[in-house]
Amino acid sequence: MSKVIVAENLVKWYGPRPALRDVSFSIEEGEIVGLLGPNGSGKSSIFRILTGYLTPTAGTVSVAGYDVFRESLALRRQVGYVHENAPLYDHMRVVESLRFMARIKGVERRRVENAVASVIERLKLHKVSDLLTTKLSRGYRQRVAIAQALLNDPKILVLDEPTSGLDPNQVVSIRDFILSLAGRHTVLIASHVLSEIEQIASRVMILLDGVLLTQDALRLHQATQELSIRVAGSERDVRAVVSQIAGVQAIDTFRDVGDVPRYIVKVAPRPKLTEELASTIVSKGFALSELSPVARGLEQIFLDLTSQARDVAA
Amino acid sequence: MRTFAVLWRKEVDALFSSPIAYVLIAVFLIVMGYSFTLKLFITHSQSLVDLFFQMFVLILLTVPIITMRLVAEEKKLNTLEVLLTSPVTEPQIILAKFAASLALVAFMLGLSGVYAVVLALYGDPDWGPIFSGYLGLLLFAASLVGVGLLSSALTNNQIIAAVVSLSLFLLLWIIDEVAPLLPAPLDDVVLHLSLSGHFKPFATGSLYLSDVAFFLSSAFLTLFLAIRALSWR
Repeated sequence: MSKVIVAENLVKWYGPRPALRDVSFSIEEGEIVGLLGPNGSGKSSIFRILTGYLTPTAGTVSVAGYDVFRESLALRRQVGYVHENAPLYDHMRVVESLRFMARIKGVERRRVENAVASVIERLKLHKVSDLLTTKLSRGYRQRVAIAQALLNDPKILVLDEPTSGLDPNQVVSIRDFILSLAGRHTVLIASHVLSEIEQIASRVMILLDGVLLTQDALRLHQATQELSIRVAGSERDVRAVVSQIAGVQAIDTFRDVGDVPRYIVKVAPRPKLTEELASTIVSKGFALSELSPVARGLEQIFLDLTSQARDVAA
Repeated sequence: MRTFAVLWRKEVDALFSSPIAYVLIAVFLIVMGYSFTLKLFITHSQSLVDLFFQMFVLILLTVPIITMRLVAEEKKLNTLEVLLTSPVTEPQIILAKFAASLALVAFMLGLSGVYAVVLALYGDPDWGPIFSGYLGLLLFAASLVGVGLLSSALTNNQIIAAVVSLSLFLLLWIIDEVAPLLPAPLDDVVLHLSLSGHFKPFATGSLYLSDVAFFLSSAFLTLFLAIRALSWR
């Protein structure tokens, strides 16, 4: 696998306001990467730089081997970009809009009709192909915008908030479609909806206030795990026993009134660790009444990382 | 070149898909038809000079309406971002918009050519001033479209674009009126900025290189600046 996008030390200022601060990342061919961050965190700025619309204030970007400064036009031929508002020309019918985009994207004249028919097929636009773009529903607008981006079969597809404003059925169909692109295109997708990203992306980058907090939040997700245990007995003894087990990083106690104390044990995952934990506690004579993994979703990681970053900033 | 043609076609389609173009053409033809008929029956003169001055004013008033949406609308609807993330250059976009708008004005002028035909059928007009008049109107329109395009490229509000370019045109139309009040060398400078001052010789059949250069250079300058404005983001 080769890297198709390499961004190094990207900085972008809008007048006196920094939008991106020293952002570096790379993306491998065929990956579906999510870019997660609250509104205004700099996601769109990154996308606009990757698509050749903006130039960074400092830093270097190469997309499909083309430099964003020197080879902008060649770069744009390799990237399909779907703007978050799915902008379309009012005066065109869907099929006209697709033909127009195919031509300006440099699709050969004799291939235009084929390219248009192919994206109509892939995005199921038959029903609306003769409608004016102003007559389209939000879901269809989004699909037409995606279809336009795919006309010249670009290596890289960049989607900015592709499911925002869609109803649940439309969200599912767009999500399935994006998943179907895996392997064929490299997909970079921005969202502020965590659950969305979690279901689509194979890797998630988190951006906050122009700073890239992690290039792989899902791996962080797997790197630590939390187990909830309920054990009767003196807290000090229990802590002593549990902390002996290899892989245990931290223990928090939660004591509900008149109840058996509950501990949250942070561990570095390894095989058989849960079993070992259970058997050690029991063999030391404690009554173990509960042992369960704590689901720490992307949401928790996102909240942890963003609150850490904000603490540092404060 | 092919991309330019595709973009030009898109601009022409956009112009003619809105009612604005038809309304402008209709108003233009009604006003001109009325003037031409009245003039012909009252004076029986075989010239279009007066008509050219009226067309001058009508073009001055209609160009801001044609050009106001050119870039401002694309910015507002974000379609500009779609264009500029495709393999399309800023000069291609601006020149296509310029050429399409000028084509609409040329089409309107072409329709008014029927008056020349009427004169030719029933009389023997002097063709020199007629050709130079149309050439002058076309050059004049080119410089106005350039200015209108530039003001549209500087904002994402169509109304502001229209108001800015219209005010500028009105100012430059009547600017020679104030020239005598100014001290030298300011009076000369102001006189040279006058739109009507540069157009008058064309309408009366005199071609001066300085007038041609004035309209062409202002068109080139504003197009250059509009391209810069589009690249500056």
